[in-house]
Amino acid sequence: MEAPYDDRLLHQRVVGGDESALGEVYDRLSPLIFGLSLRVTRDRVIAEDITQEVFLVLWERPLAYDPDRGTLRAWLATIAHRRAVDHVRAEERRRVSALGPRLFEREPARLEDGVLAADEAERVRQAVTELPDGLRQAVELAYYGGRTYRQVGEELGVPEGTAKSRIRLALRRLADALAEEEV
Amino acid sequence: MDPVERLYLDALMEEPAVPAHSLRPQLLAGARARRRPAAATASWAAPYAGRVAAMDALLATAGDDDWARVVVEGWTLQELVAHLAAKDGLLAASVGAPVLGPPLQALDSMGRTGDVQAYERARSPEQTRRDWRAQADALCRHLAGLPETALATLDGLEVPVRDHVLGRGLETWIHTDDAARAAGVRLPDPIPEHIRPTADLCARLLPWTMLLAGLDGSGRTLRLTLTGAGGGEWLLPLGVEETTPGEPDAHLTADVRAFCFLLGGRGDPATFPATVTGDRALAADLLRTAPTLSGP
Repeated sequence: MEAPYDDRLLHQRVVGGDESALGEVYDRLSPLIFGLSLRVTRDRVIAEDITQEVFLVLWERPLAYDPDRGTLRAWLATIAHRRAVDHVRAEERRRVSALGPRLFEREPARLEDGVLAADEAERVRQAVTELPDGLRQAVELAYYGGRTYRQVGEELGVPEGTAKSRIRLALRRLADALAEEEV
Repeated sequence: MDPVERLYLDALMEEPAVPAHSLRPQLLAGARARRRPAAATASWAAPYAGRVAAMDALLATAGDDDWARVVVEGWTLQELVAHLAAKDGLLAASVGAPVLGPPLQALDSMGRTGDVQAYERARSPEQTRRDWRAQADALCRHLAGLPETALATLDGLEVPVRDHVLGRGLETWIHTDDAARAAGVRLPDPIPEHIRPTADLCARLLPWTMLLAGLDGSGRTLRLTLTGAGGGEWLLPLGVEETTPGEPDAHLTADVRAFCFLLGGRGDPATFPATVTGDRALAADLLRTAPTLSGP
């Protein structure tokens, strides 16, 4: 999917060192990027840091974004999501090492409830709930819980390779289900 | 990105939120510290300042392999950047701006390029990058206080400083494109507002590129249509002394970026994609001689 003309022009301006273009990108997309970071981290201060960092990446390394490969919104969201998930994982590692693995219990359904709200999100959610249990749990742990393949495997009591293939299969089914709905 | 992952991100982003206080001022201050914005300069020099910022963004991502790779003219990226600094420095000298790098000896482009390259080879690529950027920004700052019509001389060519600066912008653009290709990076075009005056310079150079190649276009007129963002229409008298166009003898239509690059010595005139009506021989002569002024 190619980026719209606005994205291209803003990107051209950022590459050309125009600070006001960075301000415009920020004004347009920061509520979404901050909202995404907040949902995953559940921490306003961390979400603010991630938001800043994401827009700084665009400014400092503008050529890493290629408008032919997607929208600016999706590109920035990917970076924010990755950083937010990294943060959640680091936090969990920290808690595990501070309390010891036996004392650590993950919060129940930490990202499952209320994560998705709007219509489009509802479709994704519906498709997720329709997955067979094993696949659904794997996807939820990986995508909402920020777990690695290995951690998903541990939590589900299956080998890492199995967790990986369950997630892949789940994503394929999701893509199919959502594509069907589109038609 | 995985399409389903995209769906998830989109779903997650359905609930925008706003930080407790605006991060904008902090962001812009942080941005300035991480990457220098285009230098503040006169509006007619902004296309050049923009290309310098774009080249610098590319250089920021260059690793040891990139710096050592031969990009163009048998020059490594480091030598290419030294070449840009050399020519920027000669223009700076011509308008009374600070000249950085080794003391001025040779005053022609190739001689000065050799001097600056010899000087920079003993330095790290990162230092070469900083030297080049410092020279370009010093030139930009000085241009802010100059009228665009002030005369400047580079390689014996005395023209308004505005045209020299547009030429520096075009050369910086083309060499950034050379370096981006060598590194497998996609370089976006300058904004249309910066392409337009660059294309205008290239259009106005046509009588000269013809003449310097031994063809006098006096009495002939070209209608030039450049398509794409930043393009436009020109009616050009082809004699260097002429100021009033006549009835067009030929009409040439081409992509604006490709046309600028042709003048800059990129692309083969024989296979250049253009639509021609009218005097086809004249159009062919124009295209064939278009790269005459392009040096390294």
